[in-house]
This record gives sequence, structure tokens and C-alpha cells, in this order.
Amino acid sequence: MEKLYTFLKYTFITLWTVFIVAPFLWAVSTSFKDFQSVNSKVTYIPWLDFEPTLEGWRVLVKSPARGGVDIVEPYFNSIFVTCTASLVSIVLGTLAAYALSRFTFKAGFVRNNDITFFFISQRIMPPIVLSIPFFIFLSTIGLLDSLLGLVVVYIVLLMPIAVWIMVDFFNRVPKELDETALIDGCNPYQAFYKVVLPNSIPGLIVAGMFCIIFGWIDFFFAFILTFTEVQLLPVKVVALNSSITPWWSLSASALISVAPLIIVAFVVERYLSKGNLSGALK
Amino acid sequence: MAKIDLSNISHSYNPNDENPTYALNPFSMTWENGKRYAILGPSGCGKTTMLNIVSGLVRPSKGKILFDEKDVTNLITEERNIAQVFQFPVIYSTMTVYDNLAFPLKCRNFSKEKIDERVKSVSDTLRLSSFLNLPARKLTADQKQLISLGRGLVREDVAGVLMDEPLTVIDPDLKFRLRRNLKEINEQYKTTLVYVTHDQNEAMTFADNIIVMDQGEIVQVGLPKDLFERPKTTFVGYFIGSPAMNIFESEVSSEYSVKINNIEIKTNSNLSKLKDKNVKLGIRSEFINVVEKEGENTIKASLTRVEDFGNFKLLTANMENFIIKSKVDRELPISIGDINLYIPPEKCCVYENEKLI
Repeated sequence: MEKLYTFLKYTFITLWTVFIVAPFLWAVSTSFKDFQSVNSKVTYIPWLDFEPTLEGWRVLVKSPARGGVDIVEPYFNSIFVTCTASLVSIVLGTLAAYALSRFTFKAGFVRNNDITFFFISQRIMPPIVLSIPFFIFLSTIGLLDSLLGLVVVYIVLLMPIAVWIMVDFFNRVPKELDETALIDGCNPYQAFYKVVLPNSIPGLIVAGMFCIIFGWIDFFFAFILTFTEVQLLPVKVVALNSSITPWWSLSASALISVAPLIIVAFVVERYLSKGNLSGALK
Repeated sequence: MAKIDLSNISHSYNPNDENPTYALNPFSMTWENGKRYAILGPSGCGKTTMLNIVSGLVRPSKGKILFDEKDVTNLITEERNIAQVFQFPVIYSTMTVYDNLAFPLKCRNFSKEKIDERVKSVSDTLRLSSFLNLPARKLTADQKQLISLGRGLVREDVAGVLMDEPLTVIDPDLKFRLRRNLKEINEQYKTTLVYVTHDQNEAMTFADNIIVMDQGEIVQVGLPKDLFERPKTTFVGYFIGSPAMNIFESEVSSEYSVKINNIEIKTNSNLSKLKDKNVKLGIRSEFINVVEKEGENTIKASLTRVEDFGNFKLLTANMENFIIKSKVDRELPISIGDINLYIPPEKCCVYENEKLI
């Protein structure tokens, strides 16, 4: 019975891995092909089936004047917007979450849970609902088609994620920990950043990871709120497409778009398995 | 080190409701500097609320708290300089054992030499010296509780150390030694120690004074001997002592005696004002003796069970609807059947409406 279970388990994992990895392998091999190799026959193995070329990659870094598409600038724009918005969201979201976890708020019928739900509800709403208000808001304050404007919008989108994850996390950090810190002579702020925060690093990492992922992959708002001055990576990748689909450069750009997330995932996985909260209480 | 005065304190967790329920009913009490107090009572009787009020984690609905005559009611916890140890170990899991112990001193900007000296002294007392450089989260539960305790003891100038059932997770052997250590620390540094527990043995062996609480009310404050021999209410009689005090429904028959099932029992309490009233007679099983002949203050009962506890025998006897428990010497030869039990008048406690007369 146990052998059968193991067998099924490994079969499933193998199939799943193939399912996940196959598109990547396809993208890697396609990114080294040229027009001929893509359109002639179905081929997989470089040098044997087709002659690899770096054209698909080269076109990404060439300036448009030289027949390229230049995704370098949008790439760094995306990094800047995602990181800044994630950082601000984490800082503000963590503070909000701590307050929601530790203090009792009452405003009419509104309680802590309602406030938490209000944050999450911003994510439940379809993005299209928010697009017009955001557009009008940014154009009013003159931040349409600018990095700062995107950062502001992304903070609004990412902070609920941070609040949601951190409220749950802080609720699991025993209240006695804060109380002990107060008794030991910390003021409430010191208790937060000297004691509670170091204990919450795994939660911060998870929240940060989600913020980065959702910030990085957002296409909708990047598409609606920018025109010519500023472009973010997802928009630029889509813009690569034309009447003749350039599979090679699309594959290459897809791969380098995913690369940062893969790196983040590996780093976070290492860290999360190393540091955990076990042992703060009991 | 301070005298702690609690004046007319009461607390409700829902003070704004129409009918607030009180976790603590109004009371006043003084904890003298350098003494050891135990707060004893069943779960949910308000012990922890009382501690949290003293440490400032909870602000009382009414009343004042004074440390050495200084009103601290409105001071926040960090300004009160008080130490509190919780039931379950709370450690700063990202720090080493040393940093955990040093934390209260670092927060108060003590010099490095002083911190070193105090941490060393406390870790020696609690036998934590060999773990000082380990991350605190790697320790076992009882070692972690020692760290919590150590953080409470590391400051010499605290107004008091409040402990909320701190030894629950510690094994019995170490428990015994720690209680002795706490006593030594108290004698050496004259720290006011307040110890919450629901274990009467712990309270009896630890404290100079025991505060017995029930349902938000302080029912008796006194020395272990008083609580044992003269419980002020039947609750204290039930709660303290093992087995609980024998309590019999009875009726006052004359100035100094009551009747249980028509048997006259003399007491030392003056009952002249309670003629013919129903009262309760309480007597500890330790004070009931087996005698050979019937006589004054003896009860004839049928012995139904003898339990040998090693150092004593516990007899359970029935007299009509009453069950009488008696602790006797283990060498006493005894067999199931009818016996005569002598009830010494000087050990009888008479209760009217559950209160001692």
C-alpha cells in the first residue's frame, strides 16, 4: 500500500514537473531560433535540428532606431515601480496590520474585522472598476504617464495584500510577547520594532514576495495609465507582437521577465525553510 | 522594591454595558515591601486580572494603585518598573539567551559592566550559564521559562516581581528547587514577590501571606496556618487542604453546640444569637480521631473505605446522609465496620451563610 502511494506520488510529481517545465524549455529553444527554423519544421534540439542564433535576444537590447525594441528601460522601470511600491506597501501595511491585530477600533458599527475586510475588498473588486477613478485621479494631480503615478497606484493595489497577510501573521504572534517587552521597559514602538518585528520576518518575506509578484505581473494598470513617456515591462512585451509574430524575441523577453521572480522564489524558499517562528512561545 | 497599595480597585471588561460584569469586585490591599504573596483561587477568579492591573497591562475600571505612596494608576507599564512572568514561557526567539536576560537592562540603559554582572548572577542562580550564547529558541520549554523568570529577576530595583503560575511547565524536581531559589532571592534582595497559582501546596510552601480569591472576590488573606485551621468561608475550607474540609449541615442546639443528625457536637464558638438556626459545621479531616468508646463529641459512623497513602491513611465513613473523611496515622489498625470518631471542639468552625462565625 505504502509502495503504491509512493509510486503514485512520484508519478504525479513527475507529470506536474513536465507540465510546468515543458513551456520553459520550449521558450528557451524558441528564443534561439530564427524565422526560418520556427516556420519550417517542428524542431527542438539546437545544432542538430536547427542552427541557434542570438537574434531573438539581440533585438531586445537594440534601440528602436537600429531595428530593435529596447526592453532595457521598461525593465528597469518595472523594477523601480515594483520595488518602491512593494517597500512602501510593506512598511505601511505592516504598521496598519499591527494596529488592527493589537488594538480595538470602534467607529459606529465598524470593527477591526470590517477594516481588514475593507482593505481586502480593494482586491476583490474587478480592476476595471478602479481604472476610471485612477485615471481621473492621476490626470488631476498631473501624474499620468509617470513613474511616480504608477508607484502611487501600485501602493493602493499592493498594500491590501500586505495588510491581509500581516494581520493574520501578527494574530499568531502571542500578545504576551508585546506585553513582556512593555514590562521589560520598551515603549510600544520599541516593543514593535525590537521584539515583534524580528519575530515576524517570515511573514514580512511572504508579504513582500506577494507584493513583488503582483506588482511585477500587472499589465492592466500599466497599460491604461501610461502612454509614451513611461513604459513597464509587461506592456512592452505585449507590444513586441506584430503582424508576423516574432516568436524568438517574445520567448526571450518572456524568459527574462520571469527570471527575477524565479530568483526571488529560490531565495525566499531557502530563507523561509531556515528561519521560522517556532519557539517564540512554549 | 516597593510597597504596593491597591486602593478600592475594581475591574470590569465591559464597563459601558448596562449591567457590567465585574472580573474583580472592589477591594483594597497592601503588599508590604520584600514579602512573598501567593494569590490562590480556581481558574477564572480574577487572579490574572489583578496582576495585569498591578503591572499596568490592564487599567482598572475604578480605584488607585500606589507604589511607595506614589500614584501609578495612570502610568503605562514601562514607567512602572515592574517585572511579570507569564504562565507560558515568552522568549525573544530571535535573540540569544544572554540577550534575552540582558534585554530589560538594555532597555533601561544600564552600563555594559552592570548588565554583564547581573546576567551572570541570574544565570548562575537559574543554572542557565552554559546556554548563554545559544539562540533562545533552541532551548526546551522549561529552560525557556527559566529565561522568562530570569528576565523578571535581572533588575534589582523592580517594584515587584509578579508571577502568573510560572512553574506550570517545569518538572516537579526543578519546581521545588526554583521555589526555594525564589525564596532565597526574596530574602537576599528584599524583592516583593507575588505569585499566582491554583496549586495550594505551591502557595502554602512559597508565601508569607496567601490571598484566596473566588469569583472576583477576595475571600481570605492570611498565613497558611490560618487558612488551614480557620477558613473564613466554606469555599476556603473546600479549596484548601486535601481532602477538602468536612462540612455538615447542622442546627444550633445550645449556646456552644450544634446538632448533626441529633448528635450533639460541642464547639468553641459562641452561638447564642443563632438559636435553632441552620448552620454548617466544618472540621478538617486531620483533626478527626478514631476512638474506642462512644462519648462526648463522638460520632458513630460506618467505615466504608480505607486508602493508604503511605504516610497516612484516609478513612471514609458514612453517617446516614453524611460522608466523613478522616486522616489517621498509617500504623493505626483499622477495619471496615462501625467506628467512633471524635471531633475536638477547639477545631470546629461554624459557618452561617457560608461565613465563619
